[in-house]
Amino acid sequence: MKKNIMSLIIWISLLVIPVLISGQNLLIKNGTVLTVTKGTIPKGDILILDGIIKRIGENLEAPEGVRVVDASGRYVIPGIIDSHTHIAITAVNEGSEAVTPEVRIRDVLNAEDTAIYTALSGGVTMIHTMHGSGNPIGGQNIVLKMKWGRPAEEMIVPEAFRTLKFALGENVKQANFYTPVLRYPQSRMGVNAIIRRELLKAKNYMEQWDRYLKVKKSKKSAKILLPPRKNLRMEALADVLRGKMMARCHSYRADETLEFINLSKELGFKIACFEHASEAFKIAKELSAERIGISIFLDNWAYKIEAYEGIAYNAAYCTKKGVLVSINSDSSERIRRLFNDAAKAMKYGGLSEEEALKLITINPAIQLGVERIAGSLEVNKHGDIAIFNEHPLSAYTRCEMTIIEGEVYFDRAQYLKEREEMTKKKPNEEKKKKGEEI
Amino acid sequence: MRVKNHLSVIWFFLVIFFFVINSSARVGPVYAIVNCKIIPVSSSPLEKGIIIIRDGLIESVGSPEEIAIPEDAEVIEAEGLIAYPGLIDAHTNLFIEFPKEEPRQRGRAMGSQEKESGRYPDVLAFKLLKPKKSTIESYRKIGVTTVLVAPKRGIYSGQSVLLNLNGEKPETMVVKNPVALHVNFSTARGLYPATVMGTMAFLRQSFLDAEHYNAHKSLYAKAAKGMKRPEYNPLLEVFIPYALEKKPVIFTCDNQEDIKRALGLIDEFKLNGILSGVNEAWRIAERLKKRKLPLLVSLYFKPPPTSLYVNQGKEMKEKAEKVIYPANAANLHVSGIRFALTSYGLSKADRFLENTRKAIKAGLPKEEALKSLSIYPADFLGVSNTMGSLSPGKIANVILTSGEIFEKETQVKKVFVDGILFKVKKPPEKGKAPVFNISGTWQGTVSWEMGELEATVEFEQEGNDITGTISSDYGEWEISEGYLSGNELTFSCTAMIMGETMEMNFSGKVEEDSIDGTITFTGGSAELRLTRIPKKSF
Amino acid sequence: MIKKTIIFPALLIMVFFCISQETASDLIAIKGATIIPVAGEDIPEGDILIRQGLIEDLGKDINIPLNARVIAAKGLYAYPGMIDSLCYLGLSEIMVLRSTVDHRETGRINPQLKTVEALRPDSVHIPIARANGITAALVAPSGSLITGQSGLIRLVGWTPEEMVIKSPVAMHIEFPSLPRRFGERETEPCEESSKRVEELKKILNDARYYAKRKEVARKNLLFPFPEFDEGLEFLIPVVKGELPAMISVHMEKDIKAAIKFVEEEKIKAIFFGVEQGWRVAEDLKKAGIPVILSSLNNMPPEWEDGYDGIYRNAAVLHKAGVKFAFSSQSSSMAKDLPYHAAKAAAFGLERKEALKGVTINPAEMLGVNHLMGSLERGKIANIVLADGDILELRTNIKHVFIDGKEMDLSTKFTRLLEKFKKRN
Repeated sequence: MKKNIMSLIIWISLLVIPVLISGQNLLIKNGTVLTVTKGTIPKGDILILDGIIKRIGENLEAPEGVRVVDASGRYVIPGIIDSHTHIAITAVNEGSEAVTPEVRIRDVLNAEDTAIYTALSGGVTMIHTMHGSGNPIGGQNIVLKMKWGRPAEEMIVPEAFRTLKFALGENVKQANFYTPVLRYPQSRMGVNAIIRRELLKAKNYMEQWDRYLKVKKSKKSAKILLPPRKNLRMEALADVLRGKMMARCHSYRADETLEFINLSKELGFKIACFEHASEAFKIAKELSAERIGISIFLDNWAYKIEAYEGIAYNAAYCTKKGVLVSINSDSSERIRRLFNDAAKAMKYGGLSEEEALKLITINPAIQLGVERIAGSLEVNKHGDIAIFNEHPLSAYTRCEMTIIEGEVYFDRAQYLKEREEMTKKKPNEEKKKKGEEI
Repeated sequence: MRVKNHLSVIWFFLVIFFFVINSSARVGPVYAIVNCKIIPVSSSPLEKGIIIIRDGLIESVGSPEEIAIPEDAEVIEAEGLIAYPGLIDAHTNLFIEFPKEEPRQRGRAMGSQEKESGRYPDVLAFKLLKPKKSTIESYRKIGVTTVLVAPKRGIYSGQSVLLNLNGEKPETMVVKNPVALHVNFSTARGLYPATVMGTMAFLRQSFLDAEHYNAHKSLYAKAAKGMKRPEYNPLLEVFIPYALEKKPVIFTCDNQEDIKRALGLIDEFKLNGILSGVNEAWRIAERLKKRKLPLLVSLYFKPPPTSLYVNQGKEMKEKAEKVIYPANAANLHVSGIRFALTSYGLSKADRFLENTRKAIKAGLPKEEALKSLSIYPADFLGVSNTMGSLSPGKIANVILTSGEIFEKETQVKKVFVDGILFKVKKPPEKGKAPVFNISGTWQGTVSWEMGELEATVEFEQEGNDITGTISSDYGEWEISEGYLSGNELTFSCTAMIMGETMEMNFSGKVEEDSIDGTITFTGGSAELRLTRIPKKSF
Repeated sequence: MIKKTIIFPALLIMVFFCISQETASDLIAIKGATIIPVAGEDIPEGDILIRQGLIEDLGKDINIPLNARVIAAKGLYAYPGMIDSLCYLGLSEIMVLRSTVDHRETGRINPQLKTVEALRPDSVHIPIARANGITAALVAPSGSLITGQSGLIRLVGWTPEEMVIKSPVAMHIEFPSLPRRFGERETEPCEESSKRVEELKKILNDARYYAKRKEVARKNLLFPFPEFDEGLEFLIPVVKGELPAMISVHMEKDIKAAIKFVEEEKIKAIFFGVEQGWRVAEDLKKAGIPVILSSLNNMPPEWEDGYDGIYRNAAVLHKAGVKFAFSSQSSSMAKDLPYHAAKAAAFGLERKEALKGVTINPAEMLGVNHLMGSLERGKIANIVLADGDILELRTNIKHVFIDGKEMDLSTKFTRLLEKFKKRN
């Protein structure tokens, strides 16, 4: 009896207590707090202890030793989440073969990519960095926090869903660039066929292992049995079929998107999200019914023919039709102005301020499976915060500070101070070189 | 009469027989090195001592009171000299010559699938050795008597061999063969794996395949009847001792992420791992300390291109090369980590000792540096019972230097390798005054078997010292070690071509407006011809 | 007697009738808008009278003819139509499909190319930019050394000819980037010349002499008349100082060298790009060279520039007194021109100056400020009515007038949206 109570207590406390992280303490005071999910506090404070938001309210007092950030006249929002990038890694696409689910982005992380700093300067605290879109079945993606200066393994977000990159369309067909050798598939028919083939192979592989394990268990067999060859490629696809990994599929045209949904049903795997989906507005009702979200550009279009019918109203329209939409950058430059893109969803489609902000905060968090710890300013979530000098959806705004788990990783004031000191030092250094007196 | 004749014939053959047997074991001279200071490394230094070398081995080491000079010993007067164990360079790619590659044709995948995909675990460095006399001499000149030679190309580049630099024939030089399997985090360009994440998946899969192959083989060995026989795989055969039987695997790590990748594989597959290169090791010293792996630390100081020291401005990059990376060894020592120092990444032998001096200047204690070039590498490579220090019974690799070994002015005077005495040639006179001033811009072509490349070179001359940059379609590279003596120009250059670093050395002649000479690099050479671009005001 | 009393009123009626035949579309009155003329003070609750494509009058309570079509603009803001100082509208449809891209030619020396001759008036990107308040744009060539002649177009027209406002506007030159000299100190002038800069100087010199030889030969029939040389013929207006050169230049060292080049060659110049202009703002001011900034979506060329190097560039240049303008450098993203200006305003540039960077400044720099760039009497009626600040992201554009005609604001975006609204 006692044992049962003990284990029950342990289980409950595990559910209730948030995952312990080694974060910092911080009190943000007097900012306009846009929580995204629970309204706006015009003059609000946020208290972060050990990296977790402990209190949100007004007139909070700082416990002893806690750093205070004055956010008067500023806007405080949840740290922005970019759910489709290729930064902080040293390799993007294993293009030598068409199907490579065994490769893992986590093996090629680069914590010293200056794009991480660029992301911080734009208020981004978390990214989903992915395998490229050159393969029908690519590799395993990963979610990172932009902890500039820390080793790569400390940036990994373990709570996120495991995702596998799939891709359809022109990139995968290698339609827009020259290759010395033609790689199958070169048509959309081939793309679907190869995905089906590999997943059927994976099913076959799973069955072979099941049979082996069954025979092994039943000690009846006198024969010594050789296990099937463990194949990392098949293991990865088996995980997708077992529901341990979800598909994030790059697709542009409405038709190929629908066909991929059919494939997922035929073969039995789950789609977390469609990437880019410029024609999503054409099939908003299907996406809404299937409860599959999209992670898209707001208005980047017409760079290839499959993007020629991508409209700027896509995000707003799909949102209004009940599709979960997030805005991404897919670029180490665009990542620093996701808040500008979100604002355009108000102009093109009439989303409200809060709906627009959700596109870059709670929506991508839900798509990545991290809404329990990020995406909005709520007690018990991680202290991932971005502070802007004007309303984040104004064209005149800029990011002043980016905070992850209570630690300040980007501080514009600090940056300006350092620049000033550097400019003061420079003429002295020039004089030194010339041998003059300082 | 007949019996007598038979006897003489038998005697004749016996004599020949005896001769033949003994002539295969040549009896070398016996040496007694006297009156020198001795640093045995494995025991305390002796101010004045004697070393007796017999039959290629150290017979005894001690003070003159303890040791009597044998009758048959040739006395080597070493007053004023210091005796050290021959230095060990635990990772080089020198002496390896690959068969010449066919020029790559655009649009065709060259070579067999296997070869291109970087799977050469069966390549033995020993089979590819083409030792150059001048390179061997340049090593002995700096006191290195033992080198680990590893093939370089490919993900599994092959198996290394440990050599004593006692001559020119590969067979006599071999101390241990093979030593270890070498793994690089490179890619098979154009074929799978074409990215490092593909390489990681490939490496993991190969260890799994080795397990499976081995399991199949052992099952078949136990009960062949009724079981399909395993298909013979020559590459996996070679691979199994390393993957499953804990023979050493050396991972070459060019940056800290490579180290993490290697550690991951070593842990996952329980390998007997050694890390080499690791010029960023200080950045994850904590983790390395816990793991207690042998480290072969290269004295190559250029930061890897992914490093933040390279991407944050020119000032930072210079600081990295001159201050931060040379302090790698010192920082590891502070963390209590033992390591060997290697010349991996360097293209010239004398850079090895020069860079050791830089590492010492950056804080590595001299005694530790000496151990990192003697007893530690011997330990890591599994030959510490026969090498790495001056103690009786060990192989007679001894160097006699004019002063403390890491001082700049010190010269190596005599070198014993396997008990064979080598005199070191006197270094050339300090260079003559340069005849021409080559400061300015030059244009020309680099031509080699693969084709021609246009290049622009900027030189700056200060006395004999030359610095500058080479620019071409492949990028911009800095010239270092430039020296103009009379009209003879030499310089080195590290080039980044398609993601790979190549050390190149130039040597040639200078005229008023033209420079002509040869560039050598690992695996080949090229001709460089330059003409001066006349100065004009802009 | 009876004749006189009938004829005079009849004449009056006829004249009146004739006047009223002036079609309603030629006479438009915008009433009650907050007018932001850019030249001069803002006018709250003002009116603008458009007649035959021009702004006839604007101000508070102006006289509005009875037959004018009135547009109630209370609560709206009236701005001058924006001008994109460098883009590829009409020259680039789908970036990766070469068949749809016409701003880049092969070869290094192409002064003969005229972008306006390759315009596609039906490009889907033109209505989209127009619907966001851009009414004129400089369409430029891209390429190697001398890339061709740009032209200024209005963002409406059935044919290329109908679209052209002014062509050529400038001769575009890519200034050669100087090789980095090893160990060079920034304060010393470049001693070594780059082959390409020499080449450029030689070409201009050749053009000068080519023109001279033609002149002289025309005066004396006995002198040989030079053969036609396409590469030189079209450079004559440049060397004569009649056609400005738009020089693309980016790094500090190159900008300084380009200033020297312009002074030595005695040509009129505008600089484009100028990402490190903030480092040499004083020099640019002294040389009196105006600057068209490249897209603010570019990354700073060097780490040492700082993460906001490109963003704060305009503010620093303005403070030093350098005239600047913004460009989109795009076709599909030409609609975002105002947000480049706003981004500069977020990093130190006053908002009023940012607005000038997309209105009066480009008009002046491209030599059309007598026609556009501000809301003033006599200028072309390129007017934008918006429900807020046109540099703001959430502002909606309600009306756009080009040459006094109201524009259709439907685009491919709106058409596709309407189509699929019916499905979902």
